[in-house]
Amino acid sequence: MSVFGSPLRRSAALSVVMTAVVAIVFFFPIYFMLVSAFKSEPEIISQRFSFLPLDFQGPGQFQRAAEIAPLGTYLFNSSLVAAINVGVTLLFSALAGYGFAKFTFPGRTALFLFVISTMMIPTQILVVPLFVEIKLLGWVNSYQGLIVPGMMNAFGVFMMRQYVYDIPDEIIEAARADGAGEIRIFFFIVLPLLTPALASLAIIIFIWSWGNFLWPLVAVTREELAVLATGITSYTQPYQRQPMWGAAMAVATIATLPLLVLFVFFQRYLVKGLTAAAVKG
Amino acid sequence: MAMNDIRQMAGRSVTDLPAPSLTRHRKWWGLLFVAPAVLFFAVFAIFPIGFGVYLSFTRYDLLTPPQWIGLGNYTGLFRDRAFLVAIGNTMLFVFGATVPVWVLSLWLALRFDRCFASRNIWKSLFFSPVLPPLVVVAVIWKVLLHPNGLVTGLVGPIFGVTEIRWLTDPVLSRLVMIVVNDWTMIPFFSMIWLAGLAGVPDDLRRAGELDGASDKQIFFLITLPLLKPTAVLVAALSTINAFQAFVLQYEMTPDRGGPADANLTLGLLILKYGFQYFRMGEAAAASVLLFAVILLVTAAQLWLGRQK
Repeated sequence: MSVFGSPLRRSAALSVVMTAVVAIVFFFPIYFMLVSAFKSEPEIISQRFSFLPLDFQGPGQFQRAAEIAPLGTYLFNSSLVAAINVGVTLLFSALAGYGFAKFTFPGRTALFLFVISTMMIPTQILVVPLFVEIKLLGWVNSYQGLIVPGMMNAFGVFMMRQYVYDIPDEIIEAARADGAGEIRIFFFIVLPLLTPALASLAIIIFIWSWGNFLWPLVAVTREELAVLATGITSYTQPYQRQPMWGAAMAVATIATLPLLVLFVFFQRYLVKGLTAAAVKG
Repeated sequence: MAMNDIRQMAGRSVTDLPAPSLTRHRKWWGLLFVAPAVLFFAVFAIFPIGFGVYLSFTRYDLLTPPQWIGLGNYTGLFRDRAFLVAIGNTMLFVFGATVPVWVLSLWLALRFDRCFASRNIWKSLFFSPVLPPLVVVAVIWKVLLHPNGLVTGLVGPIFGVTEIRWLTDPVLSRLVMIVVNDWTMIPFFSMIWLAGLAGVPDDLRRAGELDGASDKQIFFLITLPLLKPTAVLVAALSTINAFQAFVLQYEMTPDRGGPADANLTLGLLILKYGFQYFRMGEAAAASVLLFAVILLVTAAQLWLGRQK
């Protein structure tokens, strides 16, 4: 190493410092959010920044956030929507992935392409006709309307088909030879073998569902049905009487926390999940 | 060994059974397994697309039944000042949310791809902007960009001012939308580049190094050509996302797209026409046009990716 001499090493050290500075610049707004959730209003809207709250609010901003708007309801709705999205997507995707990978039936390729083609459709394009559709169904401002249209994503079918394909036919045939029924085979042989893939898919669907803004925005207008993503906007509107930037930062922190936890404990899965979630749009 | 045993067992039992009845039986099971997903997408993805195209040819306000007006909505849109403004705003945003993002995300990915002490800590911090949902990103930056807020405190002294209207100035606010978008998208696309870089064998780069190639040569002649599939993915994803953008504009700007429509994007226009003015036909027509543009751009990028 010493053959390179010191100038090169100094430039390497400089490059590390630069990289660190870039990382800190990108991280700063996240830190600002976290620390502002514990600051007082004048400290948040201030031209100077203190790295720790000078006037520590404790859980004060979180309590204020819950007083101003039904924060508990937002949290409950977001969790409910995410849980149903994840559950239904996992089940339907595993079923369809198994059907497409291990059975031959007329129209198999056509039906698979039919399902996969829906991955290409951006929600932005669907939102108007989908809203009219749920209006005709009488589902506007209801849990069905909020949950059902986004319950399932074709990416899951695509992903599960790949994973089921790798399960050796012999295992399934052996179970069949032992007299196991088709439903039994799916739940007790195929599904357990898919566990790691299902875990990744669950993370992908959770991220997507938790952050989904467009559909809850148009499908429900009643506050009791709002989710965190849409509910947070009620803290930042100018017509609100008092400034509540602290409450907004507290809610922002709550909305980011599950993803932060996933990031800290399952970074690898999360990175995979985020990139895959983007691919499916 | 075990696999062979299973294979033999399976082979025997399958030949023992009458084949035709088995396949017929299994045919139905296959259809049954795919049925829930297929039915779901038929009702909530394929049908709405067709229905949206139909709506785009009608006048419909959600109260009286849709009324067929042919191409009326499309010709109407192109005479509509707001629509033309939205196209311009969207194009500007698409430019700001693609080219700088491609360059900076790749450049930073290359920096983080190198081995150095404490790399993982810095990488985690750098990735953190991808975590909050986009609407939360908007809320954080709305606070940071308060006229008397922290960003003003950093930039203001340079120009000798104490108040900067970041979000209510037509020029500044357009720039701000792009910067905030790029702040979350650069780390995100760096992640994708890094996944691509992990697939570039180190030996190749090291061989180039030994042959006396400069860093620049190694990058342009060895690394970049191998990253082509990643490049196509990054280009397509960032463009599609940018064309649909509306969340930052909706939450951060005055009057949801202001000031004076300076941040009215096509995505926002669809929402306004559909859910504020209840002009569903025009909203559907704008959706169809946006979809057509997105498909065209994606097809062009995939085609370019195949060349050479």
